[in-house]
Amino acid sequence: MNWQWSWQRANLAAGIWCLVVGIGMMTFWLMEPVDLAGHLPFLFGMKFNAALAAVMTGAALLLSARGLRTLPTLLLLVVLIYGVLALSQHVLAIDVGIDTLLNTPFMDIGTSRPGRIAPNTALCFILVSLALMLRIIRRKTDTVQVLLGLSAIIIAAAALVGYAIALDIAHDWIRFTRMSIPSASCFIALGMSIVFVDTEETGYHRSTLASILGLSTYLVLLAMAYYELARYETAFGITFTADTGNGRSTLTSLIVISGVLYGGLVAHLYFSSRRARRMADDLAESRARLAAVIDNAVDGIILIDDRGIILKVNAACTRIFGYGSDDMIGQNVKMLMPDPYHRDHDRYISNYQRSGEAKVIGIGREVEGRRQSGEIFPLDLAVARIDLNGATIYSGIVRDISERKESEHALIDANTELEEFAYRTSHDLRSPIASSMGLLKISRMMLADGDLKGLAQTLQRMEKNFGRLDHLIQNIITITRNRLMEEEKSTISLRAAVSDAIDSLSHLEEFRRIRIENHIAAELTIISNPSKFDVIVGNMLSNAIKYHDPQEAQPRIDIRALRSAGGIRLSVEDNGLGVPPASRHLLFRMFKRLHPNRSFGSGLGLYILRKSAESLGGTALYEARDKGSRFIIELPVEETHENPIDPGRR
Amino acid sequence: MKIQSILVVDDDENDQFICEYTIRKYDSAIRVLKAFDGAEALNVLRGDTPDAIILDINMPVMNGFEFLDRYAQEFEVHAPVVAMLTSSHLGKDRERAMQYDFVKSYFEKPLEPDHLRVMAELLG
Repeated sequence: MNWQWSWQRANLAAGIWCLVVGIGMMTFWLMEPVDLAGHLPFLFGMKFNAALAAVMTGAALLLSARGLRTLPTLLLLVVLIYGVLALSQHVLAIDVGIDTLLNTPFMDIGTSRPGRIAPNTALCFILVSLALMLRIIRRKTDTVQVLLGLSAIIIAAAALVGYAIALDIAHDWIRFTRMSIPSASCFIALGMSIVFVDTEETGYHRSTLASILGLSTYLVLLAMAYYELARYETAFGITFTADTGNGRSTLTSLIVISGVLYGGLVAHLYFSSRRARRMADDLAESRARLAAVIDNAVDGIILIDDRGIILKVNAACTRIFGYGSDDMIGQNVKMLMPDPYHRDHDRYISNYQRSGEAKVIGIGREVEGRRQSGEIFPLDLAVARIDLNGATIYSGIVRDISERKESEHALIDANTELEEFAYRTSHDLRSPIASSMGLLKISRMMLADGDLKGLAQTLQRMEKNFGRLDHLIQNIITITRNRLMEEEKSTISLRAAVSDAIDSLSHLEEFRRIRIENHIAAELTIISNPSKFDVIVGNMLSNAIKYHDPQEAQPRIDIRALRSAGGIRLSVEDNGLGVPPASRHLLFRMFKRLHPNRSFGSGLGLYILRKSAESLGGTALYEARDKGSRFIIELPVEETHENPIDPGRR
Repeated sequence: MKIQSILVVDDDENDQFICEYTIRKYDSAIRVLKAFDGAEALNVLRGDTPDAIILDINMPVMNGFEFLDRYAQEFEVHAPVVAMLTSSHLGKDRERAMQYDFVKSYFEKPLEPDHLRVMAELLG
């Protein structure tokens, strides 16, 4: 991002440089400062036309960088035509009259004709304007543009270096017509912009291009030096040729050898930089891949140093512990542990470092973690020791197992309940059968004895036994059905459901003695499973009736229902026997009968009540009264969506 | 030795009837005491130590095991023969009951004259 930005600024700088140099030179030519020209003649090497062309090129570069296309293209076209004309004057030895068209120079420096620019300058204008036009038209960089830019830089750079090492041919391609220093600086700036800005995207590495540039400039200078040397030999009749007579002087050989060595060096640099870059890319990619694996892991991964300081955590850790990664990194890992791990962790580490005896490392075990909220939860922890360059770090993989633990506990609870159920059921099923077998034997004896009265009583007992058995089996069927039944929910009118339940209990012998009152408002409804709801209401009422107090002058049962926050509270209140405080913890548990002398129940009634309420998302509660009991069922209420075709449908 | 008195601890009225009838048929001289749960049984035992106790396990208020705990702790003199009489034959229950040294037998319902004969033999 930053690199890209600075290269864009290089573009801007090149444009501005051309404008400054071009406008400055044009000003000089127009002001005609004779004194200055006398003192610093080299400044006036850049002709008026060249200065104007530089201004136009710089302006075109800046405009195109701002997204304009037509105007810069036109400017560059003018520069191109001018370059072609200026070059053809040299090549074809003609005069098209453009040299003094705009300005007649007040003096002549470094030129064959007044105002005429050097052929290398003209060629550079052609190369630069062509490259920039191509860039504007194609809207991207390509090889041709890069080559054109490279050529311009090499020509200009050779000219500049020529000034420095006094190799005239480098800037004077034709005698007395030289590329000036200001012109050369403009071409280098423009060429840099063409070659280096935005070219990375097309696959040219800047370092590669720079190497090529350096090498080419050097080789061009070398060739020119060789050419110059040969020219001096011929011109002055001096022979540098060595005695061996192979026609090549030691100096020339040295120049050529150093050129070859330099070329080899540049090539080597180029290839090793490419290799280094590829390795860096590979490394970056593999790091990115590893980071992606760690960050997307479902389990939390924590790296700590040998003092327990957290070095790195992955995304899963922030999810599991609730801390941001910045809140964890740099802290001691014991922040994620409750006591006793929190208290003892430093000791674990020092023990391990001293004795090498691992409690967790390389083993993995179930421990407890502490979330930011303070919640303590079970987690599986596996720690591995990693030795890196003489330092030791530890990687911990943590997995939140609270859900697994919860379902494990639920499963164990369900299993325990099932075992108890099986045990109690087998006992309670066998009990009336064993009793009936005994009674049958006694009946036989009574029959043999002719004790018909005793026999009738015994048969009655047997009948009661079978009634009990049947009742128990019915209850077991209810439990099974409640557990397995899939039932559609529907709107239930509470008052009507309770009235139905009261009617269905009217056969009980105590029924007539008890005043049962249904206080529920007629409009109160609930959306629930009708069968389970009927089981609940039936159980509550039959319990209240069964355990009424025979000594009570006015036994009564009151049924009420209230809409409370988020639910319905249905209560059945009696003034019956109540539940002794010592036995209250046994309420709602299976096979618990709390009234010994009146225990004709299966011991499953309240258990069924609780299970049914729970399966409807509610709870069963007991409240003691001064006299009697109050059993309460709280059920969640769902919005009433009445069937528009058949309102109040059940 | 002849059994003089037996305490029957059972919450089921029918089982109480069967026990009483069977005992009377076996030996009408035996005195039969009744309790409908462990707590009642402890009350009876505070005033009387019978030769034998026939004990059910599953009872409301105080079950057979709770009764055995209390009987072991609170009484110095125990009935010579305590026999468990239950409707189901579970190894776990049997083991638990037989840990008390005064529990001598473990029978399955219904009570038979043979059970009483075994108890009489155990009495010595």
